[in-house]
Amino acid sequence: MNFKNIINTESLSFRILTRVLLITVSLFVLTLSIYYIYTRNLIREAARENAIQLAGNIAGKIAQQLQPMEKLPQMVSATIEMGLFDKDSLIVVLETILKRNPNIYGASIAFAPNIFPEKGLYFMPYAYRNNNEIISTFLGSADYEYFLMDWFQIPFMTKKPYWSEPYFDEGGGNALMTTYSVPFYYHTEQGRVQGGIATIDVDLQWLTDIVSEVTIFETGYAFVLSRNGMAITHPDRSMIMNESIFSNSENWEEPLLREIGRDLQQGNSSFSEYNLKNKVKRWIYYTPLDAGGLSLAVVYPDDEMFASLHKMNLILLALIIFGLILLNFTVVKIVNRLARPLVDIAKTAHKIAEGNFNAPLPEVKSRDEIRLLRNAFVNMQQELGAYVANLTATTAAKEKIESELRIARDIQLSMIPHSFPPFPELPQIDLFAELKSAKEVGGDLYDFFLIDKHQFCFAIGDVSGKGVPASLFMAVTRTLLRSIADKVKSPSGIMKLLNNSLAMNNESCMFVTFFLGVLDISTGELSYVNAGHNPPVIIPGDGAVKFLPLANGIPLGLQENYEYPQFSLSFKDGDKFFAYTDGVSEAENSQHQLFGEQAILDVLMQHKSDHPIALIKAMDAAISQHVSGFDQSDDITMLSIAFNHGSANGTPRNKP
Amino acid sequence: MTLNIIHSGGFTIVQVDGHLNTLNAADFETQVMGLVERGDMKLIIDCSKLSYISSSGLRVFLLAQKKLRANKGLLKLCCLQPSIHEIFDMSGFTQIFLIETTLEASLTS
Repeated sequence: MNFKNIINTESLSFRILTRVLLITVSLFVLTLSIYYIYTRNLIREAARENAIQLAGNIAGKIAQQLQPMEKLPQMVSATIEMGLFDKDSLIVVLETILKRNPNIYGASIAFAPNIFPEKGLYFMPYAYRNNNEIISTFLGSADYEYFLMDWFQIPFMTKKPYWSEPYFDEGGGNALMTTYSVPFYYHTEQGRVQGGIATIDVDLQWLTDIVSEVTIFETGYAFVLSRNGMAITHPDRSMIMNESIFSNSENWEEPLLREIGRDLQQGNSSFSEYNLKNKVKRWIYYTPLDAGGLSLAVVYPDDEMFASLHKMNLILLALIIFGLILLNFTVVKIVNRLARPLVDIAKTAHKIAEGNFNAPLPEVKSRDEIRLLRNAFVNMQQELGAYVANLTATTAAKEKIESELRIARDIQLSMIPHSFPPFPELPQIDLFAELKSAKEVGGDLYDFFLIDKHQFCFAIGDVSGKGVPASLFMAVTRTLLRSIADKVKSPSGIMKLLNNSLAMNNESCMFVTFFLGVLDISTGELSYVNAGHNPPVIIPGDGAVKFLPLANGIPLGLQENYEYPQFSLSFKDGDKFFAYTDGVSEAENSQHQLFGEQAILDVLMQHKSDHPIALIKAMDAAISQHVSGFDQSDDITMLSIAFNHGSANGTPRNKP
Repeated sequence: MTLNIIHSGGFTIVQVDGHLNTLNAADFETQVMGLVERGDMKLIIDCSKLSYISSSGLRVFLLAQKKLRANKGLLKLCCLQPSIHEIFDMSGFTQIFLIETTLEASLTS
């Protein structure tokens, strides 16, 4: 494994790795997110329950202190109503209460105006602490009409006990205090009337002590609020009696605090979140206390609350990254180890492509797909080797056949005359012929020779089919023609003997269309016989070209003893003759259109005054133009003779 | 080239469709001679859909006729298209084969 392989973006390991990483990272992110959300909810729920319990404990402790204090003015009220106290001994009662309850700073019994006419408008015995002494006095004057104060008015009107808003008693104890007022009744001559209000002033120092004992995580705390949301206890002493939950809502620009404050005033409990001015999140649980008209709140700093979760997350993240790096290396290593044989196989494949079928393939020990591939390659190598060996042998055999065919072609071509002009010593005839086989060897033939001094024999033929069988039949025909013409001179006689020889034992039904003519070069008299061949064309020195008139005898080789009718005509000086095989008339182009007989006549008419060589070359050119490169499918043979000395008559005369 | 072989009234009718040339003549020979070997002695070659015939194709006709005549059988050709008929005329094959203009005629005569 080298570095280049690792970062190659097309390599198998890279592609597998990217996909594996994509899936695993997605899975991890999903798992971690679910875990985080779930755990966070769990922690918050635990914090809420913890807060409720904590608040309950604190509330219990406060109630333990406050409830006995509430009993005192209630007992005083009850005894006054029953008339058990003389109005002048009330001071003693109040002093006794103070002596026995160190948390009570002062106590009073404030009578409604004119309850005791002899005492006047005001009657309010009051005992309070001053340093370590208990001092008694009577309050109420034109300057201090106590019955107009809230602490008097509210319980008097509502006829219910009332805790006042806590306040700083600057003149007296210099301490935070609250006053508990209980209304009482009194029996006068007019009957049972509202007598006034019994009060105690409670020093709230102990409340601060209880609440400030509470610690939550590191910076969490508890504090007590008044009915108006004012801080009664707080770790930050500057807040006490200075800031309320509503003023902090404005200070910290956090409207949620106002909501909490209102909810609190309605006596509800809740666990909510809010932000400090610096956007530090806090969780708060608040609940009203049973006594004192107070509420308790416990504050949980968010970051501390979820610190363990965040720490756990960091550990998990580190573990995941470590795991992914490990996975990365493992995957790359495994894939590269698996892929190494593939690279070797690819190298071998190149060697095989270059023709080395014995190139060794890497050994694969695993029983996996790579091994299958390797075995397939071994098989392919063997098959290819065998195939190529076979192909080589076949090619050799084919080349041998082709070589033999080339020799056969040479032999076949040597059988027909091919030196032109053939008879330079005979000015009467000018002649040219051409044979083009579609395959190496063909079934077309032409021939010409002098039977004697004046008799010029010529022939053209086309054997059925093509290739080797046709060429053999052609060779037989040509050989027979020469040997028969040695003995028989008339065209019909030659034809009859030739046909009989070819038809004998012709089991394969091969046949040859054949035109044979004998021209007397001294007179221009042409005698001819046709055995099913395409009619040749006469090109008169004057007048239009036309097909040679003839009767259609059957091709040679089919029926023994067939009598071929013989015809004759006279060539005039300058007349020409053109014979061809169906390879000319049926020359095909790519649209399978045939060259046609009319085209032959047209070309001949156009070149009627040309020499036979030029005539045949012109025909060649016209055929080439027609087929325009389409493969030649049949042998093409043409023979043209020009007669330069002859008689007058061009009309054929039947000589049966 | 496609062949369609029908048996009717003791005759075996071979319908030849398309070109019969050097390339498919061997295949044609195998099929037609197969019929002859099998013993179908009365053969009609229906040339109504035969558009071209080469000398190799003609040779198969001849071969079939020769074999059938040797076994006292019979070969008829029918429905030659004008171009085919011209080839038959020119090469003298009209003298060798029994040629009918319609299939009905070849079945009855």
